Amino acid sequence: MKKGSKKIAVELSAVTKKYILHHQKPTFSEHFLKGFRNENFLALKSINLQINKGEKIGIIGKNGSGKTTLLKLIAGITAPTSGKIKTYGKVVSLIDLESGFHPDLSGEENIYLNGLLIGMGKEEISEKIKSITEFAAIGKFINEPLFTYSQGMKLRLGFSVAIHADPDILILDEGISVGDQNFQEKSLKKIEEFFAAKKTIIIVTHQLDFLKNHANKIIWIDKGQIKELGGKRVISNYEKSK
Amino acid sequence: MAEKEIKTRYKFALLGFLWVLLNPLLQMLIMGLIFQFFVPVKVDNYFLFLFVGLLPWNFFSMTVMKNTPTIVNERHLIQKAKFPRETIILSIVLSNLFHFLIALGLLLAALVVDKIYQGYSFIELLNYTLRISLIFPVSVWLTCLISGFSLLFSALNVRFRDTNFVVQAIMPLWFYGTPIVYTLNLLPIKLQALLILNPLAGIVQLFQYILLNQPTMPVINLLINLSIGATITYFGWKVFQKESPLFDDWI
Repeated sequence: MKKGSKKIAVELSAVTKKYILHHQKPTFSEHFLKGFRNENFLALKSINLQINKGEKIGIIGKNGSGKTTLLKLIAGITAPTSGKIKTYGKVVSLIDLESGFHPDLSGEENIYLNGLLIGMGKEEISEKIKSITEFAAIGKFINEPLFTYSQGMKLRLGFSVAIHADPDILILDEGISVGDQNFQEKSLKKIEEFFAAKKTIIIVTHQLDFLKNHANKIIWIDKGQIKELGGKRVISNYEKSK
Repeated sequence: MAEKEIKTRYKFALLGFLWVLLNPLLQMLIMGLIFQFFVPVKVDNYFLFLFVGLLPWNFFSMTVMKNTPTIVNERHLIQKAKFPRETIILSIVLSNLFHFLIALGLLLAALVVDKIYQGYSFIELLNYTLRISLIFPVSVWLTCLISGFSLLFSALNVRFRDTNFVVQAIMPLWFYGTPIVYTLNLLPIKLQALLILNPLAGIVQLFQYILLNQPTMPVINLLINLSIGATITYFGWKVFQKESPLFDDWI
């Protein structure tokens, strides 16, 4: 590792992400009939960004400006078309809470499956399983197959597993508000704990008030490019532009 | 992950592990009853001959057919987090390997017991046991080949969704292109040469050779056959590696 990398959590250099638009399912036959003529969509254009450890980053921007693509790239779910992304530490994303569950497996087995996916060890999960179940307030349903769960229970379970993974970098996408009032308060408290600890947090949200109180650096993305980067002033600029 | 596969597969099946054995046995019975009238194979026991060929074939075809659409079907896993995408494919290979080994173990036990009944001496029995233990390196090779094909087809299926249809269409043809219901020497020379291109042919023949002492193709052809398999396996692995970071864009 280079000098100074101790301080850096995420580093993006000249990252471009191009999506190929397909109007239907991609198939062989279509590929040969139409050849390589494809419509492209540039989601991100040559982004340079450095996030230091412990920073609380808020990402704002209109729908379709490339916020989620940026999160997916940082989380490693997809790769950039060009450019380089480096992350230091364990990244856990709360982008899609419900995903990564299997409906036929029990709650407990799903905790293992989900935990393994986001990079926890088997023993680590065994240690934390009680606390995960308690936090999600699943109760006696924990040994029931997941298809018997309500939507709220699944979301709670997903959230609970993710925050117990003890990430160095936490990525949040909108869904900070999961479950009923009680659980929302509980999860907000947990997220605030993360904010208090020296974790790096990257959050995409339209709840600007939340960012005003919590984030110390704001990135405004517009049409796949960083329009403005800085402190809370960016939020007021963004609000004015609307 | 493999645990997940095994558990879900049998969670609601009462017969459980019995199915693993019942499936190829039923297949063997049906095919045996029909093909023995059409295929003049010179073997001691046609049913046994069929079973020995069906065992690796079923492992191959079931795993590859299941794996081909699996990345698309398990998109919720891909979209969840960064993890080596191969684990999805390899967990299915592993769980099927587990079933394959159970069936193989029972077959080997039955073969040894049969030899005891035939009054083999201790030394002969020891020799035979040593011989059939050669089946394990061949099984390792079979597993590699299956993984290679699985990786290749599943990666292609993400880009081209009709891969799945193609695979389903060629599997039955592939079955008859593999010496399972017939022996290679029943074919005209030209067709025999063509079968060298089928990486499954060599493996099935090795199974029949090791367990039933059936003749194989000449060693040089066997080597060509194995190297074709190795090339495909390597190619499949490379394609998967190249494509897997971009799976999320296509599903």
